[in-house]
Amino acid sequence: MSGTAKRIEIQAAQRLKTLMRDYFLDLDEAARDPARRVAWCTSVGPCEILVAFGFATYFPENHGALLGAKKISHQLIPYAVSAGYCAESCSYMNSDIGAAIRGVSPLQDAYGVGGPPKPDLLVYSTNQCREVQDWFNFFGRRHDAPVLGVCPPTHLGDVTPAHVAFVRGELAGLIERIESQFGLKLAPGKLEETVARSSQASTLWRRVLETAGARPATLSFWDGLIHMAPVILMRGSPAAVAYYRELLAEMHDRVAQGVGAVPKERFRVYWEGMPVWPRVRDLSEKCFDLGVSVAASTYCNSWAFDEYDGGDPLEWMARTSISIFINRDEATKQAFLLEMMRRYELDGIIFHNARTCPNNTNSRFGMAQRLRDRCGLAVLVIDGDLSDQRFFSTAQTMTNLEAFVEQLEARRRPACAALVEEVAP
Amino acid sequence: MSRGRYVGIDAGSSATKCVVLDVAGDMLGQAVVPSGFDYAEAAAEALARAMAGVPLARRTVAYCVSTGYGRKNVRGADRQVTEITCHARGARQWYPQVRGIVDIGGQDTKVVWIDGRGELIDYRMNSKCAAGTGTFLESVAVRLGLPLTAIDELAMTSTARTVLNSYCTVFTGTEVIERIKAGEPRQDISMGLFRSIAARVFEMSAVRDGPLAATGGVVAHCRAMVRALEEIFGAPLLLPPLPQLAGAYGAALLAMELAGAEPVRAAERTADALGAAIPTEVRV
Repeated sequence: MSGTAKRIEIQAAQRLKTLMRDYFLDLDEAARDPARRVAWCTSVGPCEILVAFGFATYFPENHGALLGAKKISHQLIPYAVSAGYCAESCSYMNSDIGAAIRGVSPLQDAYGVGGPPKPDLLVYSTNQCREVQDWFNFFGRRHDAPVLGVCPPTHLGDVTPAHVAFVRGELAGLIERIESQFGLKLAPGKLEETVARSSQASTLWRRVLETAGARPATLSFWDGLIHMAPVILMRGSPAAVAYYRELLAEMHDRVAQGVGAVPKERFRVYWEGMPVWPRVRDLSEKCFDLGVSVAASTYCNSWAFDEYDGGDPLEWMARTSISIFINRDEATKQAFLLEMMRRYELDGIIFHNARTCPNNTNSRFGMAQRLRDRCGLAVLVIDGDLSDQRFFSTAQTMTNLEAFVEQLEARRRPACAALVEEVAP
Repeated sequence: MSRGRYVGIDAGSSATKCVVLDVAGDMLGQAVVPSGFDYAEAAAEALARAMAGVPLARRTVAYCVSTGYGRKNVRGADRQVTEITCHARGARQWYPQVRGIVDIGGQDTKVVWIDGRGELIDYRMNSKCAAGTGTFLESVAVRLGLPLTAIDELAMTSTARTVLNSYCTVFTGTEVIERIKAGEPRQDISMGLFRSIAARVFEMSAVRDGPLAATGGVVAHCRAMVRALEEIFGAPLLLPPLPQLAGAYGAALLAMELAGAEPVRAAERTADALGAAIPTEVRV
């Protein structure tokens, strides 16, 4: 057990609270100001284009996560289901649609705003899943706002120049449609500037995550779920860049001082798949108590893009949007996971089999077994969901986690015994 | 090594089981009581019953490991260990050659695979669903108005290859009624129920390499469950002498090992300190 060592809070969290408040208040103001426009965008969608055009950008997936974290998704999903959306489709989508039908939003209590800002435009990319298309179409109809989409090639092995050129063409087409729809003209250099900021924030975020390679890990997956907000919501803004500079400096201090997310770190593991938002606190505390540091994850790395080299911004956006983990084939994903296990010196991997998110669940085609059998990794698959807590059993999951640690302990024991024998005279 | 007793308590969702071992690892007593609403009380009751045959002066508890769904509620346990590890440990003590353990309990079904050294290789629990658990059988039994033992007896007389098509407890109940209406023999429907559980267990089993043992209350009480598992796994099962007590037995064995690992203990306690409500005259 990790004993009584206390959790040391990340100081930047205070700054983050202010940042988030400013972001949502500004969105609310933009929605009410006739001179400004609001665009909704998917989380790894082409938000840099929207920012460059001057739209205030809002991300419904963040709202879906908030509904899950507030433990109210399961009360809202039935309203989406009754409106014709399958109960086993994306629980972000269903709870967000249910919330709109019911007029419910965690933003009301948190920031004193009426709820999500009314969109002038909705832009999705199916590089993450097909569900976002229908999710955005629902809200497009509801708000009588245009919905524009980018549909890149999916499940890619190698990302070829042809793939990039195709998506670049789609993005260029998106710019033309926005210009024609709203009578706007993209200012010269504006997209380059926005992409450079977006890349800067993303690169800093990656460097923050990489500090978890230290022992003990500076921050955990659970911390990452909080601190990743700016790299999703505020990509392309100076505020996001400034925030990650501050956070990175704090993480470097942590490395220098030996401060970790789990001070008495016994095991280091990887989290593959979506968070279980309604149970993040429970899972985080359980891991802390067990001395388990979730030092790396696919999810938090989903916004750690390659650096922009100053060339064609649309090409960078195209390449980035189809190179992300979720858009790759099984072999590429497996290679990525193995590299992460090696880089972060991890003891095992936890797969979250999210009931309503097949596209971001990677234990459904034998990956967990392959990693265990071929690579000797300790592997755990837990059943749950990203937002709908009805698919999650706390007791069973906690037992599974404890058994996972018992397995890791047993693995370590003979290794130590062998070492003792080896050095014995 | 302490001279006291080593206690394993498996606080399951339906039944609480207790095993008491002496310093040699021999079983001095065992008990199974309903878990009811109060896991702590059930654990105390199970311990009292398991200690019934032990002379009062020798009821000192050297180390206690609790396991099962209610393991955190067992008062005074020195350590909590998951039922996954405990069932594997218990089954391995009975059958050193065992590699797979299927445990079908009231709420959980587990499939555990271990290597030749007893280390966990892989384990699976049923997802948040009653399908494939004892609760599934109990639910259908209630719907049919028969005790589980009667369904087991009926199933054992079946010669057909009936398989039910539903996993879901509710849909299975409906399917059973439909098959009754269609005139299918009751014994075949009953055997189909056990095959439904066996199919779920088989799905959870990713390794399937080496001898397989079955533990848990359902296996202890239903021969048809064993039959269905042997059919689908295509091999005879190892059946421990006390399948329902495998988890508690494993917990008691781990208690011995953990006590050995921690030879210096501040003070040994009487059984009363553990259970808080252990009567001097043990109720049976």
